[in-house]
Amino acid sequence: MVQSVTWKIGGEAGFGIMASGTMLCRAFSRAGYHIFATNEYPSLIRGGHNLVTVRIATEKFEAMNRDVHILVALNKETVDLHKQELSEGALVLYDPKDGEWNANDFSKKVVLVAVPLKDLVQQGRGEPVMRNTVALGATVALLGADFEALASVIRDQFRKKGDEVVSQNIAIAKAGYDHVKQTLGTETSMYLDEVQKKEDQLVINASEAVGVGGVRAGLKFAAIYPMTPINALITYLADHAKQFGIVYKQPEDEIAGINMAIGASLGGVRSMVATSGGGFALMVEGLSWCGMIEVPLVIDLGMRVGPSTGMPTYTEQGELQFVIHAGHGEFPRIVLAPADAVEAYSLTIDAFNLADRYQIPVFVLTDKYLNESQWCVPKSSFSGDVVIDRGKLVKESDLPTDGSFKRYDLSVPDGISPRSVPGMKNGFFYANSYEHDEVGHVTEDVSKRIAMAGKRFKKFEAIARDGRPPTVFGDPEAEITFVSWGSSRGPILEAIKLLQAKGKSARLVHFSWIYPFPANAANKLLSAGTRLIDIEQNAMGQLALLIREHTGIFIREKLLKYDGRPLYPEEIVERVS
Amino acid sequence: MSSITADTFKTSFLPTWCPGCGDFGIWMSFKDALAKLGIGTDDGVVVYGVGCHGNMYDWMKIYGVAALHGRTLPVAQGLKLANHKLPVIVISGDGDGLGEGGNHFMHAAKRNPDITVFIHDNQVYGLTTGQASPTAKQGFKTKSTPEGVVDEPINPLALALTAGATFVARGFAGDPPGLTALMMAAIEHKGFAVVDILQPCVTFDRVHTYPWYRQRVYKLESEGYTPDNKLKAMEKSMEWGDKIPLGILYKEEKPTSEDREPALAEKPLVEQPLTIENLNDLLNEYI
Repeated sequence: MVQSVTWKIGGEAGFGIMASGTMLCRAFSRAGYHIFATNEYPSLIRGGHNLVTVRIATEKFEAMNRDVHILVALNKETVDLHKQELSEGALVLYDPKDGEWNANDFSKKVVLVAVPLKDLVQQGRGEPVMRNTVALGATVALLGADFEALASVIRDQFRKKGDEVVSQNIAIAKAGYDHVKQTLGTETSMYLDEVQKKEDQLVINASEAVGVGGVRAGLKFAAIYPMTPINALITYLADHAKQFGIVYKQPEDEIAGINMAIGASLGGVRSMVATSGGGFALMVEGLSWCGMIEVPLVIDLGMRVGPSTGMPTYTEQGELQFVIHAGHGEFPRIVLAPADAVEAYSLTIDAFNLADRYQIPVFVLTDKYLNESQWCVPKSSFSGDVVIDRGKLVKESDLPTDGSFKRYDLSVPDGISPRSVPGMKNGFFYANSYEHDEVGHVTEDVSKRIAMAGKRFKKFEAIARDGRPPTVFGDPEAEITFVSWGSSRGPILEAIKLLQAKGKSARLVHFSWIYPFPANAANKLLSAGTRLIDIEQNAMGQLALLIREHTGIFIREKLLKYDGRPLYPEEIVERVS
Repeated sequence: MSSITADTFKTSFLPTWCPGCGDFGIWMSFKDALAKLGIGTDDGVVVYGVGCHGNMYDWMKIYGVAALHGRTLPVAQGLKLANHKLPVIVISGDGDGLGEGGNHFMHAAKRNPDITVFIHDNQVYGLTTGQASPTAKQGFKTKSTPEGVVDEPINPLALALTAGATFVARGFAGDPPGLTALMMAAIEHKGFAVVDILQPCVTFDRVHTYPWYRQRVYKLESEGYTPDNKLKAMEKSMEWGDKIPLGILYKEEKPTSEDREPALAEKPLVEQPLTIENLNDLLNEYI
């Protein structure tokens, strides 16, 4: 019996690989296991090699591990490409029709499990694409789990397609399950320990978590041009538009997207855009306008490998310095970076409140790893009460009737002036792209310019009240201090556990609130004489640069990964030792 | 009931346009049209582009958005979707709306939002001191085309028609009463209404003067033209030279962008509650 299994399925794009990963996750999450799934695929719809890795464990964990315990090959290429990743004693499930394998094809000792995927599909009168369903059934048997766990997921997955489709899929999965049971006969080395289910768990990616956060925060409008890796958010919002009273608009480009979203926000509704680096490059002009007219806006920037079109379906943390510096001219903004799906949800809610409170653009910096991985989240993490703070958005009845309302009132001490919405009686103003006076009329006067720019800059001080220090994980007295932001957190936390097992103590100083940079807190946490190691998924060490800029602290040691692949705990451990 | 007049829109700012600029005529007609329709300071929102036309907001006391150059239409669509009861009007220019904002123009037209667009069309970029605009006719000499414009001009009316605008008209800044009537009809039209307004640039264009236009323009309605046929309208949109038609070329009723949003069926987004009731349904999808 084992406590954690890492399962990998590979095959040609179009084989239903992604769906298989999600179904396996759901089956085990429903049973109370902790799960996590990552995917890897080229920027193609058909052909090319697709891959999903699922880790299933009896206890909560934070990241994928590098070694594979079960490899499911829907074609021969999958074994060729991934046999180096197999752990000692791994199971390799393959279809003999794709070619035979024997033990000395592998550098480690593996158990070959031949399952006639194609034949079993044919016997069940299924489509060739249903090989993945046979493989899922076989997997459940290899893990020693109850077939019903999978059957319930299949029923839900295909319910809309009718009873016939449901029973056919269940029968085909069962054929795979039975085949393993009959041919192996005995317990495999990958039987999972049983768990007690504590509460309902969600299987959700971070884009969907951003969507749920948005809906709970009162999001009403989103204009999002399709782009990997934020497409799941589009699907989420478009599918739920009717149910939750949301308008999702597909704009002609990202320039239109951000201008539509700003228009809707000016019109009084909570509004957002989402994109990746290239799309955000087009939004930069609009961001600057948003800063000038002091309108709330939430921007979900899902990072992927750049520059340019880069490697569109692979992950990176390359836009931290970009979002901090984007936009012509100077204006305040907030940058948040979730580490997992729970934070993607909670920081999205925070982003809407902060945007309204300070009347500024707020970034949620996600990435491909967050947005397309399946995370396991206790339902209660997403169902707590949500506070909605719309800041100084006025009610029509609060407006003075003598026409004295000033949208950009300079007398406010914190730089945040009351905000009216077009159509309100007595709330007249201009949202002016030019420098402007308190009503919004254009001005090029020296003192008015300085006053209005000063009003915007005052918000930095106000924002500091809400600013959050980095979070510290692990032993405060540890000899090693890792420094990270965003989605690197999970692999580092796993690495700390591995190091601990080797008798090495390490801690993590992790930034979810990136900008305005919490310099004082960072200074205190990073100036002690421990060994600092900056870990980021970019080539420049962008957080380390930010830390140096604001604290003077130079982090000499860095683990910088920019090959587009997820960060693995094992490679962090190797770097340290 | 309505005490709204052209003076309602008065601010402490005076126009900075060149004396004789076509913008004056458009401005007068616009104020008259709003007053006659009972749209006062707090009753609508006007989105202005960047260019000579765009400076109009400073002397228009009505909720105003001075957008970025070329970006009027996306902003206007966002505003309209946030509150579709609010009249949303766009004041744009030929450079702003058809150059920098050309892509937005086509895509706004195909969605048919209930937005009215007035294009100040004078063939030049006045604010940057006289370069050729996208509508500049071939041979026209400007600061950026000393040997004369070589490109074909964009035809705003033909473009609006093919892209799907449901109200397409041409006005002339030198005909304030006619322009007022046209503007009123455009604002009252439910759908994407485009009025291309011919205006002389008295500073940077010595060719297309008021007399040049007056010798050529004629009113479609005086010919018994009915604006109900897209192909006929296309033909009229291409008439240019000795005779230049003014008036409504095309008009049709179609569902608007807002009509097609289920979320807007009952009331505007801005009036809807921020909290949701069916939280369990929302989360159980992911179990």
